[in-house]
Amino acid sequence: MPKDKGHPVASHPVEDEGRRRLLKFGVHSLGAAVAAVTAGPAVAYLAFPLSHDTTTGSGGFVTAGRAARFKEGVPVKVDLLADKTDAWNRLEQVKIGSAWIVNTGGKLVAYSTVCPHLGCAVDFDGASTKFKCPCHRSAFGQDGKVEEGPSPRPMDELEVKEEGGLLSIRYERYKIGVPEKHVV
Amino acid sequence: MLSKVIDWLDERAGIRALWHEAADEEVPGGARPRYVFGSVLMFLFVQQVVLGILLASYYSPSATDAWASTAYISDQVTAGWFLRGLHHHGSSAMVIVTVLHFFQVTFAGAYRKPRELNWLTGLLMGALVLGFALTGYLLPWDQKGYWAPQVATSIMGSMPGGEAQQKLLQGGSQYGNLTITRFYALHVFVLPLGLAGLLGAHLALFRKHGVTPPVLPQAELDRKMDRFFPKQLFLDLVAMAMTSAILVWVTFNTHGSELFAPAQPASNFVARPEWYFLFLFQLLKYFHGPLQIIATVIIPGAAATFLLLLPWIDKAESRLAKDRLPVLLGVCTLMAGVVALTGLAVAEDKANEKYQKDLVIAQKEAHFARELALKGVLPQGGDAVFENDPLVRVRRSFKENCSSCHAIDGIGGAEAVDFGDYNSREWLSAFVRNPEAPQFFGGTKHEEEMEPYPPEKVSDAQLADLVEYVLSLSAAPPKDLDAGKAQKGAAVYESLDCSNCHEVEAGRSAAAPNLLGRGSVKWITSVIQDSSQDPLFSSNAKMPKFASKLAEEEIVQLAQLIYSQQPYAVVAASGAEGQNVKASVKAEH
Repeated sequence: MPKDKGHPVASHPVEDEGRRRLLKFGVHSLGAAVAAVTAGPAVAYLAFPLSHDTTTGSGGFVTAGRAARFKEGVPVKVDLLADKTDAWNRLEQVKIGSAWIVNTGGKLVAYSTVCPHLGCAVDFDGASTKFKCPCHRSAFGQDGKVEEGPSPRPMDELEVKEEGGLLSIRYERYKIGVPEKHVV
Repeated sequence: MLSKVIDWLDERAGIRALWHEAADEEVPGGARPRYVFGSVLMFLFVQQVVLGILLASYYSPSATDAWASTAYISDQVTAGWFLRGLHHHGSSAMVIVTVLHFFQVTFAGAYRKPRELNWLTGLLMGALVLGFALTGYLLPWDQKGYWAPQVATSIMGSMPGGEAQQKLLQGGSQYGNLTITRFYALHVFVLPLGLAGLLGAHLALFRKHGVTPPVLPQAELDRKMDRFFPKQLFLDLVAMAMTSAILVWVTFNTHGSELFAPAQPASNFVARPEWYFLFLFQLLKYFHGPLQIIATVIIPGAAATFLLLLPWIDKAESRLAKDRLPVLLGVCTLMAGVVALTGLAVAEDKANEKYQKDLVIAQKEAHFARELALKGVLPQGGDAVFENDPLVRVRRSFKENCSSCHAIDGIGGAEAVDFGDYNSREWLSAFVRNPEAPQFFGGTKHEEEMEPYPPEKVSDAQLADLVEYVLSLSAAPPKDLDAGKAQKGAAVYESLDCSNCHEVEAGRSAAAPNLLGRGSVKWITSVIQDSSQDPLFSSNAKMPKFASKLAEEEIVQLAQLIYSQQPYAVVAASGAEGQNVKASVKAEH
């Protein structure tokens, strides 16, 4: 048996180069076709979350409680419950997020508890009467403005609505770490 | 540009030598179509791995999430049905090509010295392919995934000392979360690693010994010799492309892989294994009791031993088929047995009307469950998909509001009428015979009671006529109503003086309910709202008035539920919901 491995040798020296090229072309195109059967749909499949809402729940108004509950001077944190979908699951009345509610002269304002800096949950510090982020020392006034620390923008105000004595909040999540407020 | 990158890589990694090592493999006697099966199997394995990874990026292995996530892949994710279908049918393709490869090797005598280890690693890989299938179809945790593997694990448990093994494999004495996680670990980690390892050994051994060429003089083989690249590889790719084309065709035609309703441990699903296990399934039918071990261990064990020992059983002088007739005959007999048993299993199921009927019901239920799953499945998972069915909510309402006095399906109080088979001919006959029987008004404290009509007063034939007449008065009489009997029944009605208490004309009321339009959804609705209103039970009414307690919509739904208990109910609700009244009802229990 001829032993000349390691060198590209045509098996039949007489075999014409055209035929060999055709076979090579066949190998490449069939190989690509066979791979595309899986690879093509796979791209659409993996990209599904780009074009579909796989998790929903925020966006609508959620009841936060009786408006009279929120007294002037002391911000109150409320948990917001709503129906939610998470891929294949449907969840009834689960916590979708929380908000701080501030009563300034009878006007109720709601701020998302998510710190615009890097997403930690902002606390209210009774001693300094400021909102303080426990992670990176951002501090905000009761008007939501940045007073200290690295936060790029004020606390995110959420839309509120009062109907029949009940306060509702439209809960949204905003892009974190940028000076502008965009819904994500 | 590209050649520069290759040069750079070659200098450092020697990739050209690697390529030539693979591409310049000698194929003595020339490239042949019958050498393609091994390559096709390798291709299928790689494709299955890729598809498996893709599925794993959406699938969640737990008893609560497995079904819902599989339904999500099949019905919601873009191209999910297609990729899951390819993975499902790909396993069948692997079994088929494994068998073809096996035959090619057997007929070429490629198992003989010095290729015994090739043969053994090949057989082991064949067993692993079956292992993949067995662990794989449990994972969707649908009815089939729950019921079909039970046969395999139960067989395991029935063997001496098998109880502990079974517990170990399924993670407990029953199927549950741990069964899924264990099967998942086997299916996606253990088996692929095992198969990849064996494949590596198989290929290394193959490269050492080369293909098993036709029995020809060496000079002839040398003269016709090809290199693996490009001719044999081209043939291999043609075969892979054909396999792919068939897979795509089958996947489109079956719209992917079936997915039955979520696993329901209390149901009696018609469990059948995948088609390639049907021969074992059929074998089980012939051996009972203590003899079962013949079907589960002895016959399959003997066959496996025969195959494993083939290189040593074959003592023929040459590889020529005519010298190896006894061995080839043995292998063919074995395969013929497998084919015959598979055929018998298929034929028996085809002729089995009950199985066919159950299968249709199971498929309808599956369709319904998948439809409901589009709205999302509650976190309790699987079976909880039926909570999305409005009828299940109605049943819950029935339980809360009605079942302390009324029963459906034998569950509920006996203070008032039992709605089992409500308004059927049997129900009405029994009612007239004895209205104070416990399942009718026996438990209700009426001031005036309807008198019983025993056979002395009304013969069975007269009673049948009377019932037909009463049915003819309802708003939607049954389709098979016998008008002649109903007419005779009207005379019986008069002769028994039923009209002393009942009216049959619109708008007229009497001591007992007007029978016109009785039993319809509308009629039941008004009874639930206020049974004392005319022309219903008037002063005899004992039932609480629900008009002020429940929303009208809910009352109508309750009325529909009660109405649907009768055998000839015409369910007006939308198709899927209507057809599946019984299915969803069963699902809740």
